[in-house]
Amino acid sequence: MGEALSHAAYPGVVVGVTFCAFLETVSFSGSLLFAIGGAFLFSLFGLWTIEWLEKSGKMPGDAALCFMLASFFAFGLLVFSYLQSAYPLFASHVQIYLYGQSATMTDFHTMIYGGLAAVIILFLVVAYRPLQAMHFDQNFSSSAGVAPPFLSSFSFVLLVLSIVIGIRGVGVILMSGMFIAPAIAARQWSDRLSVILWLAALFGLLSGFLGNVLSVDLSTHLSVLFPERRLSLPTGPMIILVGSSFAFFSLLFSPKRGVFARIVRILQFRLRSDEENILKAVWKRGGISFSECRKTIHLWLPTLFYLLWRMQRHGWLVWAYQRYSLTPDGTRKAARIVRLHRLWEVYLTDLGWPEDQVHRTAEEMEHILTPELENRLSKQLNFPRFDPHEQPIPERDDFR
Amino acid sequence: MIFVSRAVSPYWDNNFWEFFATLGKRLMHMACDSGPLAFDELQLMVLICIAIACGLLGPLLVLKRMVMLANSLSHTILLGLAISFLVSSALFRTAGFDMTHLFFGALIAALLTVLMTSALTAVFHLQEDASVGLVFSTLFALGIITVTLFTRDVHLSVEVVMGNVDALKREDLQLAGYLALVNMLFVFIFYWPLQFSSFDRFLAASMGVRCGFIHTALLFLVAASCVGAFRAVGVLLVLSFLVGPYLTARLFFHRLWQLLIATPLIGVGAALLGVALARHLLTVFDMALSTGAIVATLIAVFYPIAYIIKISFQKRVIE
Repeated sequence: MGEALSHAAYPGVVVGVTFCAFLETVSFSGSLLFAIGGAFLFSLFGLWTIEWLEKSGKMPGDAALCFMLASFFAFGLLVFSYLQSAYPLFASHVQIYLYGQSATMTDFHTMIYGGLAAVIILFLVVAYRPLQAMHFDQNFSSSAGVAPPFLSSFSFVLLVLSIVIGIRGVGVILMSGMFIAPAIAARQWSDRLSVILWLAALFGLLSGFLGNVLSVDLSTHLSVLFPERRLSLPTGPMIILVGSSFAFFSLLFSPKRGVFARIVRILQFRLRSDEENILKAVWKRGGISFSECRKTIHLWLPTLFYLLWRMQRHGWLVWAYQRYSLTPDGTRKAARIVRLHRLWEVYLTDLGWPEDQVHRTAEEMEHILTPELENRLSKQLNFPRFDPHEQPIPERDDFR
Repeated sequence: MIFVSRAVSPYWDNNFWEFFATLGKRLMHMACDSGPLAFDELQLMVLICIAIACGLLGPLLVLKRMVMLANSLSHTILLGLAISFLVSSALFRTAGFDMTHLFFGALIAALLTVLMTSALTAVFHLQEDASVGLVFSTLFALGIITVTLFTRDVHLSVEVVMGNVDALKREDLQLAGYLALVNMLFVFIFYWPLQFSSFDRFLAASMGVRCGFIHTALLFLVAASCVGAFRAVGVLLVLSFLVGPYLTARLFFHRLWQLLIATPLIGVGAALLGVALARHLLTVFDMALSTGAIVATLIAVFYPIAYIIKISFQKRVIE
């Protein structure tokens, strides 16, 4: 949505500046006001167009969005080409809005954009509760009267307003990235909406700042390298690149939802399961030599060494007389696993599974069941003493 | 240079109607002996080829709900092209726009976009629209920076979005012609599989249609069409050509084969009118407007006109 609306702002800018050209006001500040007004109006018009296309034209949503975006942009380019041939000076004002440029901004820009941003922040702070209710559960919020009916349309107006603020610095084409990248980055670090909002604002701020610094630095660097070209990098792409590198970084490395954190968790779980399998094997035989261990537990050799070493350090295994045997601590732990395994087998046969098939699921469940689940299970099964294969189930006392 | 060629152009000083008269006369002539193409004719033919190429893919895209993907593809081909240019100029010291760039640029862009988008949704558990948005804005930003840095030309990055119909050459026509031809062959050969897979994937799969292959081929062709069109109309207006004519055709036709015929025709009509209108505006009002933008705007304007026609027609039927 943000993408379509920011593209729709482009003809607004062009028309606004063209109007300004007709009035022959050459000042940047005058053209700025017209550009802002035009962008705002055209974005709103684009919003209405999408709704109309979906409702009256019975179009699928994505097609309506795309059609509006392309058509508005085409109209913008049409007027722009007129402006280019008739008023080249004003055309250069418009070109800035394509990829953004902050070098030519003045105090006047700062005041206007700052004021608009303050309006948006103020609205978010005042209407935080209703907005939250509306976005999580539309039906609840409207039936409970938490969110007034005009809130939804009003928040769209604010969306448009934020686009109007952004296009001068980031450009109409990449503006949608500014809605997405900081939000994705912020989402990775928290589950609370208020925290996410502040974080997203912070990420946006940082990417804006760093992007600008980078583009200025690179531009000066380039102008030293190629003095005759008068190169200057547009700020928009730099800002977006910084923003999306924040997003990708967060996606990879955030502690809770990041990919690396997830991989580490999966590996840890796998290692724990293997560890428990070794304990079980030792428990069943009373002791195990290394070669036996290799035969029963199929693991990569270094992993097996590491696990055995780790369990010795935890004080669960001891190495004596060429065999591994369990310490009291290890016995307790192993017995618990066997108990879970056999409990689950009993449970499954209770449910009506054939006895010869319950072993495999129990192999998995023994690593997952928690003590609370264990208690519930044994209570529900009336404290069984034997599993379906006539093997004794270790008592809880054994390992307490 | 341009002005000289315009002055000797047979369309010089023509208005809207005279344009068509001249065009008809020249077409008659061309049947006897083929002279050099006038500039307007070159524009016209390139735009017609693009309209045909895009018009054939448009219905399939909308029916298969791949419009947003096409949207992001139309942006990311910039990076694909930039990479293919860099590699070729570094390895083979060739510069120029030809079939290989078209092919590899489209391939790189399509691969990058689709792989990254699906990786973001599958591995990182992002919502689909968010991952599409993130990928396309990142890749487009990279593309813009690469183009600016390596061509050392600020205007090129603006031209990329606007397109530049005035700088078209014979090779562009060749390219667009091939594209139209390939797309036509694709739709013609795979008509049944395409029809099944765009309306009912599961039925198609059960009937032995390889949906994955069709999907991939379609994506690649969309990327190729975007690349082929971007010199003439820029990266964004391609979308207009892809989606707009189909939406208009959809008001009147409801069978896939009708749509596949009507959609390119509407595009071609817009191209004809657009080029004539551009010439008319230049002659009568002395306004040099971008032809690509005029055609795209015409495509947009067709929709409300068609809508009004349809509504009034319906009313008459009801009465």
